[in-house]
Amino acid sequence: MEPKAVVPSRKRKPLGKVFWISVGWIGLVFLLAIIASWIGLEDPNNGDYALINAGPSWGHPFGTDDLGRDILSRVIYGARVSLIVGFGAMAIGMTLGGTLGMIAAYRRGAVDTLVSAASYVMLAFPALVAVIAIVAFWGHEIWKITIIVGIASTPLVYRVIRAATLSYATREFVTAAKAQGATDTRILTRELLPNVLPTVISYFLIGVATVIILEGALAFLGLSVPAPTASWGNMINESRTYLSDNPWLALFPSLAMFLFLIALNLVGDTLRQSFDVQESKL
Amino acid sequence: MSAESTPLLTVNDLVVSFKKGRQVVQAVAGISFDVFEGETLGLVGESGCGKSTTGRAIVRIEEPTSGEVAVEGRQLTGLGRSELRKARTSIQMIFQDPVSSLNPRRRVKDIVAEPLDIWKTAEGAERDAIVREMLEAVGLDPDVAGERFPREFSGGQCQRISIARALVMKPKVLICDEMVSALDVSVQAQILNLVEDLKAKYGLTLVFIAHDLAVVKNVSDRVAVMYLGRLCEVAPSDDLYALPAHPYTQALLSAVVEPDPEKAASHVALTGEPPSPINPPSGCRFRTRCPKAEERCATEVPELREIAPRHQVACHFPTLRA
Amino acid sequence: MSNDTTATDAFPQAEDLSGPLLTVKDLRTTFSTPRGDLTAVDGVSLELGRGETLGIVGESGSGKTVLSRSIMGLLPRSKTTQSGSILFEGTEIVDAPDATLRDIWGAKIAMVFQDPMTSLNPVVRIERQITESLRLHTTMDKAEAKATAISLLGQVGIPSPAERVRAYPFQLSGGMRQRVTIAIALACSPRLLLADEPTTGLDVTVQAQILDLLSSLQAERHMAVILVTHDLGVVATRTDRIAVMYAGHIVEMASTRRLFASMAMPYTQALLKSTPRISDPSHTRLTAIDGRPPDLINPPTGCAFAPRCDYATEQCRIEAPPLRTAPEDPTHLFACWNPLQTGHAGTVTTAKGEL
Repeated sequence: MEPKAVVPSRKRKPLGKVFWISVGWIGLVFLLAIIASWIGLEDPNNGDYALINAGPSWGHPFGTDDLGRDILSRVIYGARVSLIVGFGAMAIGMTLGGTLGMIAAYRRGAVDTLVSAASYVMLAFPALVAVIAIVAFWGHEIWKITIIVGIASTPLVYRVIRAATLSYATREFVTAAKAQGATDTRILTRELLPNVLPTVISYFLIGVATVIILEGALAFLGLSVPAPTASWGNMINESRTYLSDNPWLALFPSLAMFLFLIALNLVGDTLRQSFDVQESKL
Repeated sequence: MSAESTPLLTVNDLVVSFKKGRQVVQAVAGISFDVFEGETLGLVGESGCGKSTTGRAIVRIEEPTSGEVAVEGRQLTGLGRSELRKARTSIQMIFQDPVSSLNPRRRVKDIVAEPLDIWKTAEGAERDAIVREMLEAVGLDPDVAGERFPREFSGGQCQRISIARALVMKPKVLICDEMVSALDVSVQAQILNLVEDLKAKYGLTLVFIAHDLAVVKNVSDRVAVMYLGRLCEVAPSDDLYALPAHPYTQALLSAVVEPDPEKAASHVALTGEPPSPINPPSGCRFRTRCPKAEERCATEVPELREIAPRHQVACHFPTLRA
Repeated sequence: MSNDTTATDAFPQAEDLSGPLLTVKDLRTTFSTPRGDLTAVDGVSLELGRGETLGIVGESGSGKTVLSRSIMGLLPRSKTTQSGSILFEGTEIVDAPDATLRDIWGAKIAMVFQDPMTSLNPVVRIERQITESLRLHTTMDKAEAKATAISLLGQVGIPSPAERVRAYPFQLSGGMRQRVTIAIALACSPRLLLADEPTTGLDVTVQAQILDLLSSLQAERHMAVILVTHDLGVVATRTDRIAVMYAGHIVEMASTRRLFASMAMPYTQALLKSTPRISDPSHTRLTAIDGRPPDLINPPTGCAFAPRCDYATEQCRIEAPPLRTAPEDPTHLFACWNPLQTGHAGTVTTAKGEL
């Protein structure tokens, strides 16, 4: 008789300080964006015309812009746009692309051929140009931008999730579940999803970062949320003309975007590595 | 073994073909055999001979192109999706790769309970009790093993978990596909002994597929030898190894290495490797490598016929016992 | 090949021809892992003569593969520490500079790996994979190297070698691929061939063909071979000597006949008894070894096999047995406090291993 399982339980490698600082930073940005209206910030859209392009001071820690609006307040309210567009679009992309990717990888055959072909057609189209064209035509309210960017990200997400699913769909435990009489839905949700989830999470965060940059690019073309609503992209775009007079105007939204993107990438990357290590222990 | 007249598992003229580009490959080219209750049938052959495909076609993980598979007289082939799902609980399979057979992100107790959850046969305390019983039956401590993930176990222990999962619905037939070939000899012996014990305890009927002739002989009552999608020889295992009638069986046996320096090093009469199943030789499929091949072998397919009680061979020129 | 030596290695070569080809002394290979230091090879010493075949037998995790890679100098430098000495024809391999190792690899020591699919480069034609080391280690020109490659493929039993030399690895079967890796290994007529599980995963018929091929090539070329395997059957008829490894140690070493006739180590016996034999009647109960090999990060005190051994005594659990010689045969080494009685080794049985 074999002695009972004697393998010592392997402890997870700690995720590290940098990871938790990044998580904390993302959480803080979220919190501030949600409670922005209740923490007594200055009105982000109506400025004090007596105080234009001022540097940081007690009243305005980040200074004011060319219309005398408080930059701190605008950076925090601007986070709302970046977060909604970033997380919203990726949620749409993940739901559509992820579901299709898992089904295609599991079922293979005609479904796979058809959806994969469609994804290649979409990928062959320059996404940025398509997004610009549709936004310009349809309008640039925040929900429209979110939907358009979300759909544009679908084929890329599809390819990633399909590949991740494929490496598990061919393993024997899927066959074993089938042999026990499990339904396709059960195999997809109970057997495959938990295995693909790490890829979903880490790719989601890195995707959000990409979408936030895309919002910035749209803003540069004047195609992000309409003025006077603040977004990090809009603010950086507006700061262009005043770069020599008021560098603060460019610095703070850029810094906010930069730090947020770094944090997202670090968290996504650390999670991915941590999952990889566990996998390689098999 | 019981010598009942009606077999538990019947495979009749099973054909499985795949499309490979434009060509059709017959991995299994019409094989028939019976397995009786409480019996272990070994299925041996070189890689690519179709032995694994046969096993997978029996449980219909691979869809048979034609032919019939029946368990207790009930046809598995031709069943609709939901009927097939139900039928699958009576016939279970264990795979070669112990690690890939288990979902890395689920706990052992949930892996073993999976069939119970699918069929809602047991819930709550009853479910836990069954899982404990099965884990104990395969030699694992349920208190320690249940909460852990597959990565924390060795290959042999993973294979035990697979066995527990396969037996949880009390199946009639267990198909073991190369279940010990990824394991070290010492662990292999543990698993083979376990399989023998469980077979007696739960009254199982086994189809044991492997390429290792010594392993197959050890566990089987009868052995069927496959070559390029067809059966060459079926016989009680001691008979088959003592008096192989088919030239291919003889060649396979001559190639076995034994842990005994006093026995001369094995030298196979067999040269080369099996031809491609895309374009198999006419007549007898073994004739291209057979030392006994004559003209007749190229034109006439040898049928499986009985040359001694329970000893069947598909060869025009078998070695008959003196 | 021994005549055309350059000035620099002329002296050691002349000196070496008499002594052993390979001398390993107290080799210790340690990996640093997140859980702590893992000593995979722990104080191994052995000698290998010219043209000799040594079988190294052990289960996975016994250190047999790490030992063979250490001899080749193939282990990654980072996270690996080595002590002791590996002398190959007078050249020290432990901590040797890369330039020294490059001169040895392929030319003097070659290796055949378990998985030919991963040890061959899938996108390079077989021709170039063979001629690469020929061009590197000899003065052959392109045409000569190609001719040699074709002749090598013929020697390892590949039909129509002149055509096959243009093939890619995926166009060949598993057995053919393993023949190709042997041809690559033999290209520069090495003095020592390390074969790490060369037939695991191959069919019995192909396994026998490959083992036959290795034996005949070895006899032709007077080449030493180290055959690493977990299968006692593979080494029983094809080696001169066998070393059995357990938990990083050599626990028994003897000439092949002596080992099978009068094994002293209970572990060797247990390994043999757990191997199913074709000559036994079907349903013969196998004697499985209890439990599993020890955790090499926290190895037990005393004999590493003691927790699984039927003959273990208090002494075994406290004090590690040294490798000592059998009284009747000075070439038979074993590490056991309670060795099996000579002559009874094959018959001593216990039922403890049963489930």
